Amino acid sequence: MSEPEILQGRTPADWHLKPPFDFRVLVLSALAVLCLGYSAQRLDLGRLFSDVGAFFMASAGLTESSSIGEGISGLSGGMFPPVFDERTPVEYVDDLETRLARPFTRLETTATDQTVLDPDTLEIVTRQIETQVLVEPLGYLFLVLLKMLETVEIAIWATLFAVVASLPLSILCARNYAPHLAVYAAARTFVSFLRSVPELISALFLVLAFGFGAIPGIVALALHSIGFLAKFFAEDIESADVRPQEAIAVTGAGPLAVLRLAVLPQVLPSFTALTLYILDRNVRMATVIGLVGAGGIGQELKGRFDMFQYDRVATLLLVIFLTVLLLDFLAARIRRVLL
Amino acid sequence: MIASALKTRIPDAPGQAPGSHTGSAPVSARGRLLVCDGLTKRFGAGPPALDNVTFSIDRPQLTVLLGSSGSGKTTLLRTIAGLVPLDAGRIEIAGAELTPASLARVRRRLGMVHQDFGLADRLTAAQNVLAGAAAHLSWPRLLFQAYPRGVRLRACELLAEVGLTENQANRKARELSGGQRQRVGIARALIGRPQVFLADEPVANLDPQTASGILALMRAAVETHGAGILCSLHQTDLACQFADRIIGLKAGRLVFDGPPEALTAQTAAALFASSAPDPDAGSDASRPGQEL
Repeated sequence: MSEPEILQGRTPADWHLKPPFDFRVLVLSALAVLCLGYSAQRLDLGRLFSDVGAFFMASAGLTESSSIGEGISGLSGGMFPPVFDERTPVEYVDDLETRLARPFTRLETTATDQTVLDPDTLEIVTRQIETQVLVEPLGYLFLVLLKMLETVEIAIWATLFAVVASLPLSILCARNYAPHLAVYAAARTFVSFLRSVPELISALFLVLAFGFGAIPGIVALALHSIGFLAKFFAEDIESADVRPQEAIAVTGAGPLAVLRLAVLPQVLPSFTALTLYILDRNVRMATVIGLVGAGGIGQELKGRFDMFQYDRVATLLLVIFLTVLLLDFLAARIRRVLL
Repeated sequence: MIASALKTRIPDAPGQAPGSHTGSAPVSARGRLLVCDGLTKRFGAGPPALDNVTFSIDRPQLTVLLGSSGSGKTTLLRTIAGLVPLDAGRIEIAGAELTPASLARVRRRLGMVHQDFGLADRLTAAQNVLAGAAAHLSWPRLLFQAYPRGVRLRACELLAEVGLTENQANRKARELSGGQRQRVGIARALIGRPQVFLADEPVANLDPQTASGILALMRAAVETHGAGILCSLHQTDLACQFADRIIGLKAGRLVFDGPPEALTAQTAAALFASSAPDPDAGSDASRPGQEL
């Protein structure tokens, strides 16, 4: 109201233009800096900088050692080289014939020193014991790939369930298509609840309910994904261009027809992008929830980590990294074809 | 076989009206396509967008709503389409009153085209036209866009009628030119066999030559489809060239109603003369969009 009055009747030379930022912004920035400083002190963030500094000093040869450097070198020493093969003592192998028939599989005899108590002389002696082991050069890699496949399958099923459940739920969560305000509020609350429970926590409880394996993993990921997808699908529906919707509605078509013919074509690219993102995220999360026993490669990872077999952990991490990279590439291809 | 489903259901729609309006039904259905009685609409404080607008369209003809931006043309069309609720007044379409309860049924006698076409960009031209028949379709058919043969045939005929080729019919709407898109919009509005056809500034975004083509097409649709067309324009020359009748709107009031020959130069000039207190037409024009 008052703005036109002020601007009226002044020559352009007297015009006052709004500055790009004002006093309020400066005060807020100063407040933010103060809060961050307090938080950094509470979390002992100073140590982060001193430790990182010490690490770089040590790397440059200026100081003897650093705590980070020691931790890393200890771990990388254990992780390198990664283990791809599987060596099983022959006495533990039931189907030796069939496994030997597979390519690259061979028998090896290894001699190991063993310290034992001689029952006759009651002296401690060191003996060389020869054991025959079955060597499968890529045996462990195959196991890991199998586990990775299981993880990807968990992610795909979780994403599929989430999309199927989110589509109808997102209509209830869209203000302009919800049949009633109460339904809208209830649906939004439900979706927010699903999104607020982390997968790792829900997987913990679901493992109790369903037992170890892929099922609790699928359910945990699907529940969280529904919370995410339904919210963002709904927001796409709400912000879709109303003009095509009106044009269909004016012909007497019901809201479902309008959704199908005027809204869906508009939001489909965004739905696809969101779904691909969730699939990508579910693959990564599926490895994590394996740590609590919900199937897949995470379970294997947790076991090897707890047994300090860091060379096997290295193989696992390598496979996870390559899989995520591959999926990223595939998702980009799918997006390009669909959009 | 399936085709007959749509063909029989569309004539059904006006057939329902005579049942409720005993006696005068045939006159009502055939004679008065559109009745607007005392339409009043106010957005917030300030002058009303529509102020006691009363008129009727009695036979298939091209009626042009003429007025400057912010004169209430768009609001009038949107109230008739049931997109904006009225403060006061009564609308009757082909003998049936427009009420919240009858909205879906009455709208089946309506078709509408927009200034910015309102097409689904990612659907093909033909799919957009077919979408105009959605009201007559069962839900599973809708889901898979499986339109009956008869409807598809009609869509092709309409697309050919508005001057599109088979190739263009299968192009995505966003790949078509403005004029072609508006032709698709007209075909979509006509597929439901509307008795009243609303056009909100259908040529505002088009060059003069294309605009003439579109208006000629709508002119022809009056005869071939027997629809009463109510089309808003702000170009007096185009209105005089194509209209059977001109309704002049100014500041929400009906200030002229007659054949184009009766529109004198002074009246036309007065229609577009800026009204004293509120020259800011931009805010008026943005009002209807905020509704719904």
